Amino acid sequence: MIWRIAQREFLLNLMTFKFALGVVVCIVLTAVFVPILARDYQQRLRTYHENVARDEAELRRVRVYRNIRPTLFRPPCVLSVFSEGLEKRIDVSATIELEQVPQMRGAAAQGNPYQAIFPVFDASLIFRIVVSVLALLVAYDAVSGERERGTLKLALSGNVRRYEILLGKLLAGMMVLIVPVTVVFVIALVILLCFPLVQLTGSDWGRIALMYLTSVIFTAAMYNLGLLFSCLAKRSAISLVLGLFLWVLFVVVVPNASVCLASRIRPIEPRTELDEQILAMRKECDRRVWDSMPESSGGSQSDAGDAFGSYYHRKLEGDARKYYSVYYPVHYRLSTECAAKCWEMERQYLAGLAAQKSLAGRLARLSPISVYENTMLRLAGTDEGAWKAFLDAVQEQRGELVGYVRAKTNDFSATTLFTPYTFEQMEHLEREGEDPPLKLDDLPRFIYRAKAVRDLRRAIPDLGLLVFINLLLFALSFVAFLRYDVR
Amino acid sequence: MIWRIVCKDMLENILSLRFLLSMLLGIALFVAGSILFLDGYKTQMEDYWKQTNENLSTLRGRSDKLYRLAFCWQEVLRKPRPLAFCAEGFDKSLPSRFRFTMFTKELAGAGGRSNYILPHFSDIDWALIVSMIFSFVALVFTYDSICGEKESGTLRLMLAGAVPRHTLLLGKYLAAMLTVGLSLLVGMLMSLILVLSSRDIAIPATDWLRLLILVLLAILYLSIFVLLGIFVSARVARSANSMVILLLFWVGLVILIPSLGRVISDMSLKGPTQMELQRSLQEAGKQVWDNADQYGERAGSMSSNLSWPGNNPPARARLKTAAIEARNRVLEDHHRRMLAQVFAGRNFTSFSPAVLYERVSEIAAGTGVNHCVSVYRQIGEYQADLNRYIHDVDALDPNSLHLIFDEEGCARGWKAISHNPVDFETVPKFQEREPALGEFTKPAVWDVGLLGLFNAAFFAAAWISFTRYDVR
Repeated sequence: MIWRIAQREFLLNLMTFKFALGVVVCIVLTAVFVPILARDYQQRLRTYHENVARDEAELRRVRVYRNIRPTLFRPPCVLSVFSEGLEKRIDVSATIELEQVPQMRGAAAQGNPYQAIFPVFDASLIFRIVVSVLALLVAYDAVSGERERGTLKLALSGNVRRYEILLGKLLAGMMVLIVPVTVVFVIALVILLCFPLVQLTGSDWGRIALMYLTSVIFTAAMYNLGLLFSCLAKRSAISLVLGLFLWVLFVVVVPNASVCLASRIRPIEPRTELDEQILAMRKECDRRVWDSMPESSGGSQSDAGDAFGSYYHRKLEGDARKYYSVYYPVHYRLSTECAAKCWEMERQYLAGLAAQKSLAGRLARLSPISVYENTMLRLAGTDEGAWKAFLDAVQEQRGELVGYVRAKTNDFSATTLFTPYTFEQMEHLEREGEDPPLKLDDLPRFIYRAKAVRDLRRAIPDLGLLVFINLLLFALSFVAFLRYDVR
Repeated sequence: MIWRIVCKDMLENILSLRFLLSMLLGIALFVAGSILFLDGYKTQMEDYWKQTNENLSTLRGRSDKLYRLAFCWQEVLRKPRPLAFCAEGFDKSLPSRFRFTMFTKELAGAGGRSNYILPHFSDIDWALIVSMIFSFVALVFTYDSICGEKESGTLRLMLAGAVPRHTLLLGKYLAAMLTVGLSLLVGMLMSLILVLSSRDIAIPATDWLRLLILVLLAILYLSIFVLLGIFVSARVARSANSMVILLLFWVGLVILIPSLGRVISDMSLKGPTQMELQRSLQEAGKQVWDNADQYGERAGSMSSNLSWPGNNPPARARLKTAAIEARNRVLEDHHRRMLAQVFAGRNFTSFSPAVLYERVSEIAAGTGVNHCVSVYRQIGEYQADLNRYIHDVDALDPNSLHLIFDEEGCARGWKAISHNPVDFETVPKFQEREPALGEFTKPAVWDVGLLGLFNAAFFAAAWISFTRYDVR
């Protein structure tokens, strides 16, 4: 019986004006904007490859260990087409230096900060806005509309149980709404795969499958919300107005208010204070270096340009040799120590930013639309967790690199730290000539990969919440429908 | 007759559930928005005054010698606007920290408390409530204004009497506007009372005019949606269909089109990046230095000891001035391109009334990108003032070389600029002033004109549709 009700409802809904209009809008939006988003991804990917290649070429030119200053680049995330999140806002690169920590200031510091006035556009916006409102429109007159037309009375006068009708309606609604969800995903994927640089790995496909599932669950939640109002109100106009008011609250008010509240509840300390502390630490470090230095009575030197815009000593004579053999070990030992402390402070500050963001996310859980958005961000790997993972990877790489240079230069005491020659070789050095680059085959390379399992684990609470919202709303609809006056 | 229709419709609206809901929602949002604003404004003002005082004490510390004043790096924050509770204009996400000396200025950076991983959000200000919530409310009040009456059969009855169609249409429009306006004004009034009762904020007399303009703009904007609602309602036979179409219109105009701004601004103009900027700066500097000789003999070499024979002070001054001018040109150009990119995005999306309304409200409230532009310009003017002051004071010192250029070592070693102490009271200080209402009049007039055009177009459309409407 449930099946028959579902079939009838499905056909009725399929032929409505609102469904046709909704699907057309979904198709048009996907077909127009996914190519733009994919092209943008492709552009970012190209830039990423260029940057990595340029950095690699520079690395091959390095002549002394102190000038190894690679920049680590974060590869763009292909799934940002579906859910952009923080993709364009967090740093795409971090430069590793022995004596300094990477500056993490956000992508706006490297791009156009005025673009902050524009909201984000991605494929999940189509679901959050268009599909969710379509779900409400399909559901709002499911019960109250039938009552107005008098068909509910007829249906219940037969041998049909109330729960069968409600389940049939849910099933029909889902069958109808799966159509636009599937259409959007299929079109988006087809378009995405038409781009030559786009490559989807196995884990990406898994993520996309989960995104599809999440979208279906979310659509079901919005349908259930409409159904609940339909079971609560006697007139379909009232159920529509109630549903839409709540929807506007979910779409506009909750996301904005949650961010607003989070920045009040958990204010972050001004960045300037941290900068001042770091500056003071650096100055103290420099002072300690100078304190332990011998007086230099001069001595000539000739320098040459190295990779990464730095230089190295080619020839040192007289006291300069003695001076630099003391200066560099002390300088690098103290400044790497200082950098580690600065990095710790910087990380605390960044953790504060992340905490504010996740508080905003938690507050936004009042709205199923935000819950859905959060889940999509995690599945796409564009949330604050992915940002933290990049920071961790950068820190780890920095640690490895410092360890590598220490090992190679015998804890910064070898002359290879600042000159490609030994002092004896310098005696017989030509005035001009090309110096040999370092052999860096064993240098630890940076490979950043988003971890699917970790992202999935983070997405589970919100996904569970979405399922719970579905069950709760359906249970409430059920209770309301049992007590519904069909006259 | 028209008045009777208005009264009837208004009464009907006021007694409906939607009015109750919109009233409650409106009041709750206006109140919540104001409370959040007051809390944030206090912190912003504290930060602002702290930075201003720090800046002044730096300047005072360097006024012991005139040349030190010229090379003082000043750092100021954008002053928070009291009218930000009306239209905040993404103030918190936009650059707010400005650094400059007399010779050059840096590109503005993010403020101290901004969190770049938070979604760019708008506070719950009047502009957000009006553009998103009340535009929706306006549609909810009008979606069944014509077709609903047809469904219930009352339209036929009404038109059977001696009521001309245009009177009926006007009556419906006025009734809907009055209902929407009522809940809007109640909310705005509550918000205003809350803000005025706070001790942390003072609204100057000129801002009352701005407030009035903001209220009028809100009404002009909402009128578009009321007319749109009536138009669609007069096009379709069933009110359910009218709601569906209107919802899609609303989603398109208020949510989707504004979201396209970023995409369009990225597509239309290639965004200048920091890397490109650094490269252009290097190139500009290199070009000047490579042609150092054209500024005079030995311009490229310098010793802080004036008696060194290699020195050629006038040539050096010309060279360094050319270098800093080249740098300023590159920065200015970069800044202009960034603004052009953003304005392109906004201009292309300005076929949405929501974008127009937000933009013109920002202008009226003195916030948003225009606020940054204004501060940037004021800094330029201040640099000129300071320059003039330094020239004037320097001219009085017979020991100075009177060569005012961007090299602190020369100013110190050669006495290129006077070393005399200055009276701090006479030194020009940077103080941000509120731009006059007329400063951004031209774009504002365009926006208001377009909003008016939308009104006229929808009114005409509604009128034509209604005169041809089949009331059976």
